[in-house]
Amino acid sequence: MMVDWFYNEYLQHLLESLVDPKKRVSFGYLIFAAMIGLAWSAFMSRNSWRNGFSQGLRKLFGKRVLFSRSARADYKILLLNHGFLLLITPFILSKVALTTSLFFLLHEVLPSGSAYFSSIPFWTVSVIYTLFLFVLDDFSRYIVHAALHRIPFLWAFHKIHHSAETLSPFTVYRTHPIEAVIFTFRGIIVQSSCIALFVFIFGEKVDLVTIYGVNVLLFIFNLSGSNLRHSHIPISYGRALERIFVSPAQHQIHHSIKRCHHDKNFGAALAVWDYLFGSLHLSEKNMHLTFGIKNRSKMRSHNLATLYIHPFVEAFREIKVLFRKHEEIKKDIINVT
Amino acid sequence: MCLSKLSLANLLSVGLLAIASLMLSISAQAGEKVYGKFPVTLKGYSGSKTNSVSYTGQIARHVLHDSLKKLAAKGNGKPNPKLKSLMMSYYSGKDAGRAIIAPKTKGSFVVKQTLVDQISKNKNLSGKTYKGTISGMPNNMTGPELVTFWIDKASSANKGVDSRNGYNYPQLISKFIMGSVFYNQAVDNYLDEKLSATKKPNNKPYKKGAAYTGKEHSWDEAFGYYGVPAHGLSFSGKQLYLIAKQKPEGFSIADFNGDGKIDLYKEMMFAPAYYAASYDKSNKTSYGMNISNAFLDGRRLITSANGEILSDSQRSQLRKYAAIIEKNWQMTLAESVFKYAGSVYKDLKKINASMADEKDKTKKAEKAYIKHWGELKGFSLSLQTGRTKLGGDTAVRLNRLIGFGPVMPNSSQVVDIDSNGNYVKDQSSGIEEYMLHMLKVQKLMIDKFNVKARKNDQLASLDQMIEKLGDSSSAEND
Repeated sequence: MMVDWFYNEYLQHLLESLVDPKKRVSFGYLIFAAMIGLAWSAFMSRNSWRNGFSQGLRKLFGKRVLFSRSARADYKILLLNHGFLLLITPFILSKVALTTSLFFLLHEVLPSGSAYFSSIPFWTVSVIYTLFLFVLDDFSRYIVHAALHRIPFLWAFHKIHHSAETLSPFTVYRTHPIEAVIFTFRGIIVQSSCIALFVFIFGEKVDLVTIYGVNVLLFIFNLSGSNLRHSHIPISYGRALERIFVSPAQHQIHHSIKRCHHDKNFGAALAVWDYLFGSLHLSEKNMHLTFGIKNRSKMRSHNLATLYIHPFVEAFREIKVLFRKHEEIKKDIINVT
Repeated sequence: MCLSKLSLANLLSVGLLAIASLMLSISAQAGEKVYGKFPVTLKGYSGSKTNSVSYTGQIARHVLHDSLKKLAAKGNGKPNPKLKSLMMSYYSGKDAGRAIIAPKTKGSFVVKQTLVDQISKNKNLSGKTYKGTISGMPNNMTGPELVTFWIDKASSANKGVDSRNGYNYPQLISKFIMGSVFYNQAVDNYLDEKLSATKKPNNKPYKKGAAYTGKEHSWDEAFGYYGVPAHGLSFSGKQLYLIAKQKPEGFSIADFNGDGKIDLYKEMMFAPAYYAASYDKSNKTSYGMNISNAFLDGRRLITSANGEILSDSQRSQLRKYAAIIEKNWQMTLAESVFKYAGSVYKDLKKINASMADEKDKTKKAEKAYIKHWGELKGFSLSLQTGRTKLGGDTAVRLNRLIGFGPVMPNSSQVVDIDSNGNYVKDQSSGIEEYMLHMLKVQKLMIDKFNVKARKNDQLASLDQMIEKLGDSSSAEND
């Protein structure tokens, strides 16, 4: 039974996800990212392009990067989380159920929308829907990411991601299972609301503009080297463009241990949210960044048990602090009255 | 000249050959799966019959139903006792000499019979209509009372349509009879009680002097109510559809014995089988094939008993075939409820979108709305006339969502029928709310029956988009 599940579910799903263009870390995107990374290193090299190219190779595929303690922990976490997600998915809120409920709710609170938009052509609806979904998805990622940093008991879980000291595309999966649940809920809520709203307004005209079955904008984002954000190649887009799109260098700043880089660049694809809410940090020339978290933290160990269990201890501690503060405020109010 | 004569002769012979091979291929195709003939197995039978299959009464009722539907659309908007009496003669009368009003010869699709009696005598529909209370309509009417009430209303409506209250009587009567007579009689009588050990045993004639046993005829009668041509069991949904619609292409498929005429008893397609075929055309379902195969397998099993009483295991197997028939027939009705709830939703969307100055467009949309609502209501009531009467809260929810009448563009809706048979109306919560009800009806059919063909699916866009975006579970961090 367990062996069957391992071969038919776990392994098959894992291999499929590595070639699924809907996933950020799939072979196609990784190859493009490597090509972009190497070309950038060669082109930006102060010495010869050959020197830059070989430096790029070391930064991307070097033993110190791909087989560091940090990277090995990334791989183990990826494999464990994959199984965890497969097991919990049936118990998570169904996207079909939520979409249908929201669709019915819209009908209850608003007059039928689709009747009034019958003259809008199909292609316009598809373009608006594709763009709206991409922007809403990206904004929700920003909100969740900012919350994971700024709410202490959530930071306890997100710390596992920031404990990475070497960055590789697989660091994207260095996630605590509690975070995975949060991300899954976020995806379901965003997609369900978007589908329900657009089908309610535009009826059967709603369609997604896709390339290889992926939202065209997401495809472009992934193809243009999104995986390099978790790497040691600091590609910058320039001051103007970095206010709109998050460059790999900006995300590397987000992982930097430096105090002035903390809680900056929460954006996934779009930097406009950071720009609007004051968390933007543009990339600079010759940045020498160190990745990870402060020295005292237990999470630096890269030990799986610690990485998985310690966040619960910290979160519990933070919740206790929160309760204590709440009690103190209550006492203060009673004393004042 | 000589050459052209030769060519013509060649052409004719090639044509004849093609027709002959077509006939042969149809016969060969049908030959594998034909409902009859089955030999007489009854012990001690001394008559001259060699075929034990008989379901003429059921086909006569199909013809009465088709004819009644046509008559229901003949009114001129004024009370018409003559028309009412004629309709009643097709519903509850047993008069001799009743003409077949439908199905009739249509162009090259020549129908053999012109009188109901040529198929079977002394038949009516009222005696076989479900006698229980119809809770989806006011006043606790029984099945026959409801049809009689509608016949009265239809006789004084303009072409059978009451556009003020939103009733299309030909559709209501027809779709309700499909359940309350054909479906109910088949699944709640012949394939239920009459399959028991004590009723209609296989070692005795169904009735005195008959050439068939109790079980043989019970099974045949259920088959007759399904309404598929005896040789059409292996035909595709598309082929059966062509026959039901009396298309010229359907004629060559239907005319099994090649006599140039369609025998309504053996070669014609009637309503229940037609609807099953219409869903099977999508290739998403195989309701018709499942029902036909189960009927044929069941009949072969009974025949194999060779006139002996059926053993427990044989009856148990027969019950399994009956369950397949019941399930697939019920699914066909649920698919119809789903389809017409979608049609009603689309009609209401059009009514909502049409401008005040587009009177023609609005009128057309309203006409379609009333027709589709009649089909929806008729099928939803039919679905409640099965062996289990739908059970649980499904029937209650279905009746509440659809209501006693459609919500009209001015938001009025029939909420009751007074003691004089007049409709009582009230203001409803409006068209938008009613559109939501239609979506809920579709969802109910998905949740309770897991319908697959899903014609006019108004929730399809949701499903397609969900599928397109794929799995949402993700451990990808930022």
